Amino acid sequence: MDCRETQALLTAFHDGELPAADRVRMEAHLHGCPECRARLADLALADHAAGVPDPGPAYWGRFNARVMDRIAREADGLGWPSAGTGRDAPDSVVPADGPGVTVLRPKGGWLRQQLRYLVPAAAAAALVVVVVHYGGMRPVAPTPTAPPVASDRAASVPAGQPMAKAEPGTRATKKADSTAVMRRVPPPATTLKRSPDGQGGPGAGAGRDATGSVAPAAASPPVAERRSTGEAKSASGMNMAKDRSAETPAEVSLGKTRSKAGPASLASAPTRSASPCESVRMLAAQERWRDAEAAQRACLAQDPSAPAREKGLVFLAELLDRQARFADADAVIAEVDRLYPHSRPLDLYRQQRPMVQKQPMTAPGTR
Amino acid sequence: MRADLDEEKDERLAALAAGGDRDAFDALVTRHRQAVYRLCRSATGNAADADDAAQETFVRVHRSLPSYDTARPFVPWLRKIAWNCGLSVRRDGNAGVPGVAGGDAPEAIDPAFGPEAEAAGNEERRRVADAMAGLPAELRMVMMLRAVEGLSYAEIALAAGIPAGTVMSRLSRARSRLLAAMGGGS
Repeated sequence: MDCRETQALLTAFHDGELPAADRVRMEAHLHGCPECRARLADLALADHAAGVPDPGPAYWGRFNARVMDRIAREADGLGWPSAGTGRDAPDSVVPADGPGVTVLRPKGGWLRQQLRYLVPAAAAAALVVVVVHYGGMRPVAPTPTAPPVASDRAASVPAGQPMAKAEPGTRATKKADSTAVMRRVPPPATTLKRSPDGQGGPGAGAGRDATGSVAPAAASPPVAERRSTGEAKSASGMNMAKDRSAETPAEVSLGKTRSKAGPASLASAPTRSASPCESVRMLAAQERWRDAEAAQRACLAQDPSAPAREKGLVFLAELLDRQARFADADAVIAEVDRLYPHSRPLDLYRQQRPMVQKQPMTAPGTR
Repeated sequence: MRADLDEEKDERLAALAAGGDRDAFDALVTRHRQAVYRLCRSATGNAADADDAAQETFVRVHRSLPSYDTARPFVPWLRKIAWNCGLSVRRDGNAGVPGVAGGDAPEAIDPAFGPEAEAAGNEERRRVADAMAGLPAELRMVMMLRAVEGLSYAEIALAAGIPAGTVMSRLSRARSRLLAAMGGGS
């Protein structure tokens, strides 16, 4: 074994991953080669750098309680009781530093995680509607500045509508928090024409199809947590316009998979010559999975940008799963794996996938 | 925490926790929180985000337990979640979107991080920490899993979702870059 071969295998040797035969040859070479021995010693030095400073016992002493608090808060009191650090923020509607708009925090599943990126758009949509409403105008059409889904998320639902925990298989919901003045996530709404009476003010996406054309035993969409949207810096940072194409379908899917009322709303998404990326939302909302798949493929072909594509491919996989075309979905997932190692959207979808596959949507128009 | 849980396997604890046993979940958190934190630290590159991601990891674990298959080993599953949470928090930070925790953390990172702050005062350790922080996340991950957690290539491959051969090449690149950044190496 010469120096070149030794150095190629040095990492594996150092890590004890070399086959025995190579190891013996390597040791023989190292014995007579100070240069390679020095390189080997360097590897140990590099490993030393990988250490992570420990935050200390005080940090660990609080860690579990903070986790429990966070779980309790996320479940809106429906999960395990708070560990009682007494530091929970009160459930107020208006964030101290926000524009008076309660924004919803995604709390579960890969689909809901996508909502995070819609937060700025939801805030913008709500703001637009607030202005229009109090300005004496009666909006009759979706504002073009806000994607309908996003505006839906900024809307409120009538008081008393029970919240349900959306995580499949998770702990049962036990109570509706009647004291928390929080806006709850409605099923996606259709247009801005109709507004829920009073409650929650002039919600952005008012008229909703509450009939729930879909969805078997799923619960309502996310219970909200609030977050200030006062800082809309994410809007540009996230390149929202570009990402929407991929994220919005995910949102639709969320409504589909989680919402009892269903996102039929999106059927009335803007009718202006919808791009494939826009129409896929509508098609998915109508459970026209095959058409939605075609639109999503067209959308993906249009938008090669990495972040949107990653999520868009994952959504495509879900559309295939919805059609029980699991092998095709597997192929798409393999593609995501290849293109985007550690894909968070994919990882989140993998967690949800068994549920999607177990409950393929079979409403009319599915195929 | 109940003492009888200390001896239980992770998978058993996960099953108990999925059934609503809070003590079992607490035991899981206690058992794995440091490894999760280290992984999140590697993914995020800083302590504050690592804290957020570590917390979020266990929230997500709790949320996902009902669908967790106890026939699968718990730790790789946990690592995967932790890593994704770390990347998620980091991406949020990059994008300017409020972090997963936002105002969620009970309190800001505080003097509990004293030891780390102390370390930062040490020039040598700072240099080493900077070198590690300067690595791309995917290289930091394999370095941490190998050098700190002592995982085999196969285990790292499983955790990172990459081929074992890629593990070796990433480790090799990571070490070279670390040594270069530290001003050492040959």
